[in-house]
Parts: sequence; structure tokens; C-alpha cells
Amino acid sequence: MTGTALSLSELPSALAGKFPGKVTPVPGRKDMLAALKVLPEAIVPVSQFLRDQGTFEHCALVSGVDWIDRIEVLYHLWSDEYKGYLELSVDLPADEPHVASVTPVWSGANWHERETWDMLGVRFDGHPDLRRVLMPEGYRFHPLRKSFELREPEELEVKARHV
Amino acid sequence: MTEGESSAKVITHIRETDPAEPEVPFAEVEAVQAKEFIPVMKETLTGMIQRGLEAATKPVFNWAGRNSLFPLHWGLACCAIEFAAGFGARWDGERFGVVPRSSPRQCDLLIVNGTVTWKLSHKLITLWEQMPEPKWAIAMGNCATGGGPFRTAYSVVPGVDKLVPVDVYIAGCPPRPEAMLDGILRLERLIRERKG
Repeated sequence: MTGTALSLSELPSALAGKFPGKVTPVPGRKDMLAALKVLPEAIVPVSQFLRDQGTFEHCALVSGVDWIDRIEVLYHLWSDEYKGYLELSVDLPADEPHVASVTPVWSGANWHERETWDMLGVRFDGHPDLRRVLMPEGYRFHPLRKSFELREPEELEVKARHV
Repeated sequence: MTEGESSAKVITHIRETDPAEPEVPFAEVEAVQAKEFIPVMKETLTGMIQRGLEAATKPVFNWAGRNSLFPLHWGLACCAIEFAAGFGARWDGERFGVVPRSSPRQCDLLIVNGTVTWKLSHKLITLWEQMPEPKWAIAMGNCATGGGPFRTAYSVVPGVDKLVPVDVYIAGCPPRPEAMLDGILRLERLIRERKG
């Protein structure tokens, strides 16, 4: 942690001042400290700022939702200072979604981003090792996409051997 | 001498052959024939001995193999708990000569006791290929038999018989240790009926 930590009440104004127009609060999340919608190009600087000034030092989860017209990537950040979670979300186009990786900010996001790539097909630019993590290499689908339907086992089978 | 002369004359007359064909001494003919005959005879005799030995030892190997099936000590899911219980004090699979081994090189029985995903399938095939012949496979539980409740999932192999040749299927979710031991005894009967 560098610099003095902001208090929770200062955080929204500090974010709005540093990233004008890039961060908008999402109302109605009672179980979180706050939920913020971030523009895709601002995700890494916002993450850096929240880690260094906002004491959100732990990236608890990176996941995604397929809304058919768009794909939403969610980041759940934990702060020991505030004892609570902050949710960041990024809206991406449904075809070829890609967003900058936050692995340089939180190393723990590495496998979460790999899983999101594996399940939803979101590419994380700048990720050090973006491979599938749950499905074998050579698997042709991203199974948590809404467009994925139940298939015959022959279609799912991975023919390539890794011995 | 006149006798000998006359007899020699007669023999020459009999042995008279085509002058274009060189006369081969009898010993050489013998040697050539022997050269061809010895390997053939050797092969025949070796084959006979081999077949005889095989016929004599096959029942012995069959008896020894079926009474000391060594399964691979490989647990995948909840069936592995039943597998472990089956070799514990209460059911004691070792009284049937079934001893789980930790290396596929020492095993002749693969008990697939759990859900196999596509990600795991390569490892399963590798383990199967590392086991020496003769070898058998048992699909234990509904997942290994046909995918179980995950049959339609995107990540699960619907039955390990897609990957390895399965000899015995054990139903149950999970099957009790008695069912697993019954499956092993059925495999023993299968091996006996095959006679090798």
C-alpha cells in the first residue's frame, strides 16, 4: 500500500475526480460496499488506484455473465480496511470480447481470468499465460456461453493426445 | 578284376546322365538338403515345444492371474471411498488376493471408480497403456459406467468404455464394497471361462 488510505466516503469522489466519465456507480447492491461499472479501457488504472489508494488488495473473484447482447466481466475486490467487497463490472461486446488483464495488478487474478476465458471466451490482453484451466486444450467450446447447447459426446471429445 | 570291371561298367551305364548337367556328388546334395531341412525342423520342434509349454502353463497362469488381481490404487470420486472400504478391515478384499498397487506397471486391473472428465481422459488412457498385458478394466459406479448424473454435462465422459475396453460394469451410486468385490469375483469367473 502506498500513500494514505482513503476513507470509504471519500472513495467515490476520488474515483470520479481521477477517472471522469469512466466509472459509474451501479445502484441496488446491498451486499457490497459498492458496485461500479467501469469502461473497459479504464479497468487497469482503476484497479491500480483501488489497490494502492483504496486498500482493495485482494482480488477475490473474476467471473463473467453472458447477457447474450453483451458479456459482463465482474471483479470482486476485498478490502481488509473496510471489511467488505467492492464489485467492478465491465461490459464487453458479445462477439470477440476482450479486456485488459488485471493480473499485473493482482497476481491472484491469473487463474480467475483463465477460467473466465475457458468458460466464456473472454480474452484478457496482456495475460501472462492465457490457457484453458478446466477444459482440455483442443476443446472447441466455451461452455458457459448461452449459445452452447447440449451436444453429442462425439462432438465434445478431444481427439488430440497429450502424453 | 574282370568282375569289378564289368560291375563298374554296369554302374556307369546306370548313372549316365545328361552331359550338360554337371554331376553333383551325393554328399553335397545331402548337405544342401540338410541346410534347408534343419531350420524347418528346428522351427517345427520349437513351435511344438512352445505350444506344449503354453498348453501346459496356460491354466497355471490363468489360475495365478485370476486369483491375484492387482488393481491400480487410483481414486477419482466418492466410489473411491467404497473402494478404500473394500480393502479395509471390514470387507478385506485381500482375502481374494486383490491387492491395490500404486504403480500401473505392477497392475493387471484398472478399477475406474469415479467421474472421468475429458480433461482426465488422456491420463486414464496413459495409465491403461502403462499396464502390462494381460489386463482388465472394471467400470465402478454409474459415472464410470455411463456418465451417471453428469451424462449430459459438457465436461464428462459418458462412460469410460469410450476410452478403455471394460470387462465388468458395477452399478450403484456409489456401489457398496460388497458390490465391488462381487464385480471382482465376476471378473475372476470371466477370466476362468475365457481360459486365458
